[in-house]
Amino acid sequence: MEQELKELKQEAVTAMAVAQNVSDLNDLRVKYLGKKGTLTSLLRGMGKLSPEERPRIGQLVNEVRSELETVLESKNEELKKLELAQRLATEKIDVTLPGRIQPLGHLHPLTLTLNRIKNIFMTMGFSVEEGPEVEKDYYNFEALNLPKDHPARDMQDSFYITEDILLRTQTSPVQARTMQAHEPNSPIRMIAPGRVYRRDDYDATHSPMFTQVEGLVIDKNISFSDLKGTLELFLHQIFNENVGVRFRPSFFPFTEPSAEVDISCVMCQGKGCRVCKGTGWLEILGAGMVHPHVLEMSGYDPKKVSGFAFGLGVERVAMLAYGVDDLRLFYDNDMRFLRQF
Amino acid sequence: MQVSIKWLKDYIDFTETPEELADKLTMAGIPVENVLDPGEGLEKVITGRIEKLEKHPDADKLQICTINVGQTEPIIIVTGAANVAEGQIVPVAMIGAKLPTGVKISKGKLRGVMSYGMLCSASELKLDLEKLPETQKTGIYILPEDIEPGIHVKDILGLNDSILEFELTANRGDCFSVWGLVREVAVLTGNVPKWPVISVKEDAAEKSADLIDIRIEAQDLCSRFSSRVIKNVKIGPSPEWMQQRLDGAGIRAVNNVVDVTNFVMIELGQPMHAYDYDHITGRTLAARHAVIGEELHTLDDSSRLAQADMLVIADAKRVAGLAGVMGGLATEVTEATTTVVLEAASFNGASVRRTSRACGLHSEASGRFERGVDIVNTPRALDRAVQLLQEMGACTVCQGIVDVYPNPKQSVKVCFSPDQINRRLGTLIPVATMIDILQKLEFVVDNSKEVFEVLVPSWRNDVTCMEDLSEEIARIYGFENITSTRPSGNVMQGCQSKKQNFVDRLKSILSGLGMNEAISFSFTNPSMFDKLNIAADSELRQAVPIMNPLTDEYTLLRTTLLSSVFENVMRNLSRKNDDIQLFEIAPVFAAQALPVTEQLIETWKLAGAITGRRQVVGWNQDNSAVDFYDAKGIVEELLTQLSVSRYTVEVGEHYAMHPGKTAVFKKGREVLAMVGEVHPQVLDALSISKKTYIFELDVEVLMKYAAESVHYQALPKYPAISRDLAMLVADDISAGDIEKIIMKNAGNLLVDLRLFDLYNGEQIEKGQKSLAFSLQFQSNTKTLTDAEVDPYYNAVLKKLEDTFSAKLRS
Repeated sequence: MEQELKELKQEAVTAMAVAQNVSDLNDLRVKYLGKKGTLTSLLRGMGKLSPEERPRIGQLVNEVRSELETVLESKNEELKKLELAQRLATEKIDVTLPGRIQPLGHLHPLTLTLNRIKNIFMTMGFSVEEGPEVEKDYYNFEALNLPKDHPARDMQDSFYITEDILLRTQTSPVQARTMQAHEPNSPIRMIAPGRVYRRDDYDATHSPMFTQVEGLVIDKNISFSDLKGTLELFLHQIFNENVGVRFRPSFFPFTEPSAEVDISCVMCQGKGCRVCKGTGWLEILGAGMVHPHVLEMSGYDPKKVSGFAFGLGVERVAMLAYGVDDLRLFYDNDMRFLRQF
Repeated sequence: MQVSIKWLKDYIDFTETPEELADKLTMAGIPVENVLDPGEGLEKVITGRIEKLEKHPDADKLQICTINVGQTEPIIIVTGAANVAEGQIVPVAMIGAKLPTGVKISKGKLRGVMSYGMLCSASELKLDLEKLPETQKTGIYILPEDIEPGIHVKDILGLNDSILEFELTANRGDCFSVWGLVREVAVLTGNVPKWPVISVKEDAAEKSADLIDIRIEAQDLCSRFSSRVIKNVKIGPSPEWMQQRLDGAGIRAVNNVVDVTNFVMIELGQPMHAYDYDHITGRTLAARHAVIGEELHTLDDSSRLAQADMLVIADAKRVAGLAGVMGGLATEVTEATTTVVLEAASFNGASVRRTSRACGLHSEASGRFERGVDIVNTPRALDRAVQLLQEMGACTVCQGIVDVYPNPKQSVKVCFSPDQINRRLGTLIPVATMIDILQKLEFVVDNSKEVFEVLVPSWRNDVTCMEDLSEEIARIYGFENITSTRPSGNVMQGCQSKKQNFVDRLKSILSGLGMNEAISFSFTNPSMFDKLNIAADSELRQAVPIMNPLTDEYTLLRTTLLSSVFENVMRNLSRKNDDIQLFEIAPVFAAQALPVTEQLIETWKLAGAITGRRQVVGWNQDNSAVDFYDAKGIVEELLTQLSVSRYTVEVGEHYAMHPGKTAVFKKGREVLAMVGEVHPQVLDALSISKKTYIFELDVEVLMKYAAESVHYQALPKYPAISRDLAMLVADDISAGDIEKIIMKNAGNLLVDLRLFDLYNGEQIEKGQKSLAFSLQFQSNTKTLTDAEVDPYYNAVLKKLEDTFSAKLRS
């Protein structure tokens, strides 16, 4: 009996080892371990054994059963893995084929740039104000200390609708309108983005229509040093922390003192190149302390409050940020250009 | 304004290089745009003496020169020039020179003979040919024979100079002069200017006042008119040094009298004019308003009609000049002139500006008057001019200045306290520093009281208030020395308006739908209205004209965004960008009434166009062309995203759209959107060869119906029952009409209705189509049974059969 068990075990283990698939293995389970299997029938023959032998043989049978089940289980795992591997191999596809694309559209680079500018100022507590694009001469010029026949009007050659109504040449009229809508001397922190128009020939750096952002801060004790700090912060955010910023005295009729603000050339890092005409600096902003006349004309008292104002061209920022060398690309709306942003 | 370093150095010493000086001036608010080197490219061009001249053995037209260039060994140069001779001094470009023309000199063989340089012509040296005698214009430029060989040609030609090119600001009229610039250089370098001593030797025998009568009739436009008379004038060229100075300032030499007036204008900033005394009728000059229609023959030999508000200088009979702009031809100084009246006046800047713009004449003089001249300066300018002419021996000077100055200018007084200035600048500049800066700028400071009193120098017309002084102090103190701070005070909330947020939202939805944003000019032109098929009586044709358009292409303000959208489509197609998905959000313009008297109505619109393939080209993509339903889908999804619901869609009418392929989206009677295929006539007119689909919406109308926030709906707790309904109807019955019937009859439990199939192929009778809808019924209080849904389903069916003779499709 013992011998029989040994042989049975040997036979079963051998058979299982060569089983080719899960189904063959299952047949072997039935054959050796099933209800009508060989091991079960061997167990039935135990009655013939002496009472002394019975427990020993019984234990032996159980050991064989448990050993066979272990072998069976591990073989089963092995075969399943194998079969999975075979299935996966047949299911292989060409992953280098392009995917199915549902392309998103693109926002215009000027919108993207303006959004960045707006976000930087909004986090600094500036509100975003708007005004009409067709303006009265009064708001566009006179309320900004630019009377008729002032030579500084030459800097902003205008498109006129009538003698007195024109396409705004700057978004500063929004400043005058905002001040006039405010309680006199109440604090203001605003930017006014928008399209502006100047009678300039259309070329790589000029356009009859372009986008400007003007800013205005009015409060008690606003100083030129606040202007410097605010604009430096903005320029470091919109370009990068390392960009050099310099303030040069200049002239605008609506500010006193006035400054042109330059950044170190982003193309050559200030070494001097074609873009910065070898100077290492790029003009980026005009700014200054609001002229007392401008405050007075909009109902603010220059003895009680002071403020600073600034203006920058969105195209200029976008050209530098994206390396665009011809302004006309922004208004051509070529799909190949738009899809790059 | 441009001026040479040499001219500045006539009046002040400095050790800075031209670039360093330019930088200092720029950082003090006197912007130097460029530093020019007139001798650029002549660094390796030196003088040489032709010692020997031989014929080239193998070429008839070439000669071999042996040239002494001041070195131990002479050099050999082969030349093709015909005007060379032994003993001449010539400019020699040595090996390695890069001439102003761009030519690089290297050694080379000419017909077998080595040549070690090149002899230069006037044009190769970039000399001004017009100033040269005829013989020097072509061939080698021959230099005077007494010049030593080996000297830099730059030094001989007076080109060893630098020119500062200024981009001066409109407020600094005083810096449009060498004196003004020297004053700034003095402050910035700490050096002391050496002003020329001005002295005049007058001829006591004749008084200017006896010879000429000067009057100011238009006191509003002319506040001072000073003049001198000079006699025995000998017209001739001005000396070389003066011509060089003028050349550096970009002014061409004419003759001694004209050159002197120009020289004094650049030196002192006071424009001057010279009249030929013998051509002044009635020994009188008056500054008066022009009479309408009055004619003037100006120096540029053209006839001009004066306008009434212009200021003219007139003699007893006629106009002798447009004050401050241009003189008249009749009184021009010529070779024959012997007596001259010199004018130095102060004209109203705004008037000069208007006149110069009206006549299209911008001159050095008009630019200075526009910015304002120093009214105190006129006698000094006259004295300086006659002094210079006397030094040339070109005239005698009559006694006295005829000076009409009815209201002498009072010095401007400005008060400030140092604390005010430090507060405005955010600085702690010491009082002594402030006073020092102002005094260096020649302001007179009285600091005996708490509030300081400052007398502004006569040439600083731009300084009128404390704020102006703060700029003077800041720019000399140095902007770079002012620390950076942030505004303190009230915390403010950063925000944008509801409309701005909405526009941002529209843009983001549309870009999510695969649409690309365009930005175009706000202009259009009348031909576009014809092309777009806009009716003759349409309001859209009442576009606002621009008085002074840049080009014929852009004469009007656009009344519809579609004109721009189509321009962008056309431009893209012409560049072979065949697949286009564009939108634009911007205002269009309308007048309250034409002609315009009020500000315009600006309405924000959204428009877009699609054409080309539905998806990007790909093996697994839908590459068929877009159709009407792609465009409509964009509008539908946009409305869904904005939570605009319960709108109707009907057949619409739009000038630029195909009459059978136009849909109008409405909310009640208000139009939300128009979408359609572009009318074939419009495509033809625009030469667009591909079917194109467009849509147009009004931003403010959309904003009115768009939900600002989302209100969540509870998820259904009970399962839905689904019923499909496939039926046959006549071809001309619209899906929309069927949907309306279904919605009306399916009861409140209908939660979703979708058309999932449309078929009109072979399987069905001609003139019929099959529509298949899926209906979802759901209750939020219980699980529905078939028995509860069936009556509604049957009612729908019955109504469709009755209304449209619909047959259930088996």
